[in-house]
Formats: sequence, C-alpha cells, structure tokens
Amino acid sequence: MSAVVFYLATIVNYFFIYNILAWGLNIQFGYAGILDFTYITFMAVGAYVAGVTSLGPPQPGTGVVYILGWHLPFPIPILLGGLAAAALGLVVGLLAINRLRSDYLAIVTLSVGIILYSLVGNLTNLFDGFDGLVGVPEPLNGQVHLGVNTYTIFYMAVTGAVMVLLWFVAQRLLRSPLGRTMRAIREDVDVAEAFGKNTFRIRLWAMVIGCFYAGVGGALLVGFVGAFSPDGWSTLETFIIWAILLIGGRGNNWGSVLGSFLVVAVLSEATRYLPAIPNNAFLEPALRNMVIGAGLIVVLRFRPQGLLPERKANFSEVRTAAPGLEASHAD
Amino acid sequence: MSILWLSIGFGFVTASVLALASVGLSLQFGVTNYVNFAYGSFLTLGAYFAWTTLTGGHLPLWLAIVIGALGVGVVGVLSDRIVFRSFTRSGFPLFYLLIVSFGLSLILGNVVQGVWGPSPQFFAVVSQFPLHIGPFLLTPAQLVIIGVAGVSMVGVHLLLTRTRLGKAMRAMSDNPALAQVSGIDINRVTTWAWFISGTLAGLAGIALAISTASFEPAFGENFLFIIFAAVIVGGIGQPYGAMLGAVLIGMVTEVSAAFIDPAYSTDLAFVVLIIMLLLRPQGLIPAQGKA
Amino acid sequence: MPTDTPILEVDAIVRHFGGLQAVDGCSFAIQKGMLAALIGPNGAGKTTLVNLVAGALPLHGGRVLFEGTDISGWPPHRIAARGLVRTFQISREWAQLTVLENLLVAAPGQQGEQLWNALLRPSVGRQQDRKLVARALDTLDTFGLYAMRNEYAVTLSGGQKRLLELARAVMSQPKMLLLDEPMAGVNPALTEQLAAHIESLRQGGITFLLVEHNLEFVEQSCDHVVVMALGRTLATGVMAELRTNPEVVGAYLGGDVVERAAG
Repeated sequence: MSAVVFYLATIVNYFFIYNILAWGLNIQFGYAGILDFTYITFMAVGAYVAGVTSLGPPQPGTGVVYILGWHLPFPIPILLGGLAAAALGLVVGLLAINRLRSDYLAIVTLSVGIILYSLVGNLTNLFDGFDGLVGVPEPLNGQVHLGVNTYTIFYMAVTGAVMVLLWFVAQRLLRSPLGRTMRAIREDVDVAEAFGKNTFRIRLWAMVIGCFYAGVGGALLVGFVGAFSPDGWSTLETFIIWAILLIGGRGNNWGSVLGSFLVVAVLSEATRYLPAIPNNAFLEPALRNMVIGAGLIVVLRFRPQGLLPERKANFSEVRTAAPGLEASHAD
Repeated sequence: MSILWLSIGFGFVTASVLALASVGLSLQFGVTNYVNFAYGSFLTLGAYFAWTTLTGGHLPLWLAIVIGALGVGVVGVLSDRIVFRSFTRSGFPLFYLLIVSFGLSLILGNVVQGVWGPSPQFFAVVSQFPLHIGPFLLTPAQLVIIGVAGVSMVGVHLLLTRTRLGKAMRAMSDNPALAQVSGIDINRVTTWAWFISGTLAGLAGIALAISTASFEPAFGENFLFIIFAAVIVGGIGQPYGAMLGAVLIGMVTEVSAAFIDPAYSTDLAFVVLIIMLLLRPQGLIPAQGKA
Repeated sequence: MPTDTPILEVDAIVRHFGGLQAVDGCSFAIQKGMLAALIGPNGAGKTTLVNLVAGALPLHGGRVLFEGTDISGWPPHRIAARGLVRTFQISREWAQLTVLENLLVAAPGQQGEQLWNALLRPSVGRQQDRKLVARALDTLDTFGLYAMRNEYAVTLSGGQKRLLELARAVMSQPKMLLLDEPMAGVNPALTEQLAAHIESLRQGGITFLLVEHNLEFVEQSCDHVVVMALGRTLATGVMAELRTNPEVVGAYLGGDVVERAAG
C-alpha cells in the first residue's frame, strides 16, 4: 500500500464529504436564497451526535466526558447526526426565516453559531467541552477489521454511496415543481407570496433539508477522522463551503462538485509551492486563508454566477404538450 | 446589594465599549444599507495598532490610542474604496456585500494572525487599583473608557444634528432615493461614514482590549455577535437605538454575571436578542427607511 | 355567494405610517364582472390600498371582504390562494427563471410542490406539469411571448415584462385581479394591446380593479371608477359623471388632468 494511494484516498474522502456539504448549502442558498452564515454549526451538531451515538459510554479515568454513548452501529449514527442537525435547523428557521431583511437572517445564524460554540465549550459534560471527542469508532470497522490505509479506501465506498444517494435527492428536488418554486422565492419573495406560495414553510423546508446534509457531512467526517472538537468549528469552515458553492456556481450541483474539487485541491496542494518561512509556522495557514478570502471576493466580482452557472430548465414536455403551437411557431 | 452596584458599574464599562462599537456599525449601516461582517476585525485591528504603537514605538498611551483608532478609520475607508465600492457601483444585490464582508473578515483576521502571531497580547496599563466612585468600584482605565465613550456619544450626536455631514448621513439613512436627488455627494458621505465607523470600531477594540485580561487575533470577531445584539435590540440603522441597545445589553451581561455563572452571561444577551426578534424585530427605536 | 354580494368590499380601512395617515377610512365595493379603476392624485394612498387589500401590509383598522368572506389580516399567500391576485407597479418578474417557468410557478394547485411528492413521487409533479405547460404555452401565445418562452425573464424588454406580468397573473386563474398601474411607462401601441387583453379576460369572467393614471383608458374601458384622495374615497361612479364632480376636479390640481382626458 503506497503512501500516494493512501494520500489520494484521503483526499477523495474529503472531496466526497465536501460535495455533500456544498449541496446542502446549495439547497439553502442556491435553491431558496437563504443566507446561512453558520452552516458549520449544523455540520458540528451532526459530527457530535454521530460521535456520541457511535461511541460507547464514557470511560472513567480517560478525562473524556460526554452524553449518550449508545454505541450504535452504522448507519444509525450518521442518520441521527443528520436528523439532529435538521432539528436545530428547524428551530433556527422558525426564529429567523421571514424576518424583515436577509441581513437579519445572516446575523441571527451567525449569532446562533457563536452561542452554541460557547455552550458546547463550557458545558463540558455535553461533548467534552473544548477538548472535544476522541476515539470515535470507524463505521463498519468492527465488522471488516481493516488496517488504517485499507480502511481509508473502504471508507471512500461509504462516503461515496451516501454522496450518490444525496446527489439524487438534491437533483430530484431541483427539477421538481417545488425546486422551481424555491427558485422563484429566491428571486422575489414578495411576488411568490402574492401568487399563493407559503414562502415561510417552503424556505423552512429548504433550511431543514440543507441542515440534514450538513449533519450527514459532519457525521461522515467524524467517522473518518475519529475526533471532533470546537477547533474544527470556525467561521473559516463555513466560509470554505460558501467559497465552494459560489466559485463552483450556485444553483448548480455540478458546480458544487467542481468547486469542492478546486478548493480541496488548493487547500491540500497550494502550500506545497510556498517557500518555507522560518519562525512563522502560523503564517502558512494564514496566507492560505487570505488567498481563499481574496480569491472568493475576486470571483464574486468578476464571475458572480460561478464557473458552472445554473442550467436553464429544459422542458421536453413542450413538444408533446402543444404540438399545434410548435408547428405554428416553427422557428 | 453592593454586588448589584458593582456589577452595574461594570455594566457601564461594557455598555461604553458596546456603545462605541454599535454606533459605529449603525452609522455605516445607515448610510450604506448593508451590514459589515468584517466589523469585528476592525476592533481587532484597533487594538493591535494601538498596542504596536505603544510597545514598539514607545509613544504615550493616549497617542497610541488615537493613532490606533484613526488607523482603523483609514482601514474602513480603504475597505470601502478597494472592496465594497467595486460591488455597489456595479449594481450587485445586497447579499453579495454580506458575503464579501464575510470574506474580508477572513482576510483581515488572518492578516492580524500572520503579522502578530496567534499568541495573546495584553496592554500593560499602570495603576490598576480600583477607585471608589459612589457605590461603584472602577479602575482609572475603566473610568477613562466610560469617559471616552460618553464624549464620543456626544460627539456623534453633535455630528448628526449640527453638521451638514451628519444631516446628509441621516438623509441617506432615512431615504436614499431622496438624498440622491437632493444633491448630496453620496461618495463623500459614504467615505466619511466608513472613516467614522472604523475610528469608533478602533476605539471600541482598544477599550475592549484594555478592559479584558488579554487579546488575540479573533477577539474582535468573537465580540461581534454581542455588538449585533446591541444593534438589533436598539434598532438597526439607528445610532440612538444602538446607544440604547448598548446600555441594555451591557447591563444585562454584567448584572446577570452577579447572579449566574459568568460564562453564560453573554449567552443571556443572546436570549434578549431572541426575545427581541420574536416580539419586536424592528428594535426599540426603529429606524426609518430600513424595512 | 348570493349575486348581490360584491366580490370585493373595502370597509373603512385605515393604515398609518408613523404620524402619516396613508389610508384614512377608505370604503368602496366592487361588483363581480366589473372592470373598475382606482384613480386619484399622487399620494392619495392607492398603492397602499392595494397592499392592504392583498395582505402585504397589515390593516390598522377596518375590514376587507372578498366574496363575502372577511380576509382582514390574512397573509398574502392565503388571499392569493382564494383567487384575489395582485400585480406590482414595477414589473417584478422572477429574473433567473425562464418566461415559461414564471408562468408555471404562478399556477396554483401544483401538487408537485408538496415536499413528499417532490422527493418521493416525482411523477405527480411531472404529470401535472405537462398540463400546466400546455396551458402556459397557450397563454404565452395569446400575449405574444411564445418566442421568449425559454429565455430568462430578465432578458425581456420593458414592454414584454409588462405583458409577462399580466400573463403570469392570468395563469394563476384568479377570480379578481388587482393591477397596480399596468400601463405605467408603456407606449401607446402596447397600451392598446394590454387594454384588449384585459377586456377579453373580463369577458372570460375575471373582475378587475386597476390603479391607473391613464384617464383616457379609464374613460374608454372602465365601467366603474373609485376616486381616492388623502386616503379616503372621494367619489365613485362612471367617469363621465365624475368629470363634472367639483370635488373630483378640485382633487386633481386645477382640473388639468380631467380636462386632458375629456379632450
């Protein structure tokens, strides 16, 4: 098992997980226009819940304290993670959606994230505070007993399968009349209301479904890495998902795939080409983050629709629905 | 009973820091009509600018503070000129600016981290023995903070009511379309709004850094949500509302710390915010022209 | 609903903004099948009234009845679902949706919009779409927008957007349409087109209440006029009578506007 294969498998796993995360945010923002600046919080909830439901009870003497510890088998913890995130999304959505300005929604989501971060950190009995969870069991490894390298490749199948399933759901939603109405709400909420659409309920659905995706992504991540702490829960992470979505092309799920490919590639490979700067170990990640931030601003300015813009709806029903019209308007 | 008075005293200090920050945010929001999510980084920059001038340049504290605050004012203007205006001029919808400001906060936060490093710093301020002022127990530094905030609030009030610039800012906030056709130089007023906003943010950041034990690159961003709470509770886009919100939130956080675990006192501010949003989302003093 | 119940009844409705009384006890009734106009000088409160009736602004007093049912305080989507549909003064198309999609979204009762159906039973939405597409294409053809059916709505010209606004409203199968200045900023040829469309829609059974400044059109086409001034109903009736009503004449500065319409 060469190191290269292992390295690639690791990157692919991250790539798959980022796809799932980006699609969730796409459903919230790309479909329905919801500005969620705390997407990472929902991912964290998914990670934590999946962690404490797949871990056994906390062992005294290890110094690690957390709730639940049900030691449930795959795929239940992942499902629970998704549902927990969705439930939180429901609460936040009920509070914040339909307020008067999109700035409010952004502020409230950001505030919720910061508050929950502080609560999780301070309520150490919940998820082991700022130290976080460790030793989260790898899904299915109790059955297959693989070594670290082989498991990484095996895990690609796990994340890949979940990813494909969630892809179909996201595409189906997009192509449905509901997806179309979500996009109308995104374009102009008041007009959608004026045409009888319950915009509050529909946006709430988008919020909740997107949060489910975030939770599943977080759950898959914690199964892969085996640990999760508030360190992995920063606005930087939310920003990376936003960058993936906007650079790739919002509203377009293929765009998110392209975006996550680019961002994952940049994140892992870019620093390879920087000269080593002595005494400044923290300069590297700082520079990398600055580049991401600046890069996003530039892309937003000069190609706001992203690399792969939204695809125009194609109604093959047109020919069958109105053959007379087609004939009389033969262009 | 004396604990209550003590915490009210501390409440004034927090309220002062919040007032500086909230009014700055409100003024800029009023004029530009979008929220600057990089505002937290402005506070951080103010603290670091002042600290560097103090420790590196060995200038007297008051001068370091002035330079620090004005430095952030300049950063504010540059942010507008280099980043934001490029979007507003090209007619981008407002939510793009939120994302852009979010990106800017990432950049600025990492600039601070890259230049100054992640380790906490602190302001070595001499003579930190608290004084008895009536029922309150406050250090000279805290008294100065309250004083500076008070003076600044008066200054802002005079600016808004007595100067042409201030009236133009109010006009742009209440009714941008009308302001435009009545011959106000939008660009000039916007630039000044950013400068004042940045300066107030810088002052707030310095005050916050002085009144807390230490500060590190993320401390401004972490404070941002409390600023939002004050601004929203008071009434977004309305500087007087921001002052009121600052007092309210400042008092709630400090007085509650006397009765509950201090780690949760900021969470309580959040509860106030949620209640406000549920009952009266436009805030205590609603601003005109901001739906 | 018995035949003498007005389709729309506005009963002493009130709305203030701060200290300003935008609508100050306004009352009138519209009978089914009317092509009615709401006219009045600028600042009379006409658009505010439309917003109040459509539920976009909360009432501060009074009631609104639609087909005999009290709809006061109802959210806009519930009122629209009842068949009272409004358009906006400035064309507000869904920009990044195609023209066809704009109409499809406007159609009511699409079961594919239910979450269960969208995710688990996509055929429901698809089947219904087939029928809706046929109706939408027909409507687009009527309004001369067929060629633009697959273009993003934002690419339409100003006049085409006005037509889209009306086509979309029609697609929602309304019982009554509240049009807020449908002819605003529109050239005379297009005005005639729009007027013809409105008339034929009225023949089809839709009641109209238009907010209008174009008094020529009002005189030619509308069978009932409500005059608003200072947030209240000033007078109602036929344009010919109102032209000679001294209060109405006085409400429009110097009677200029009324004279122009006559001549």
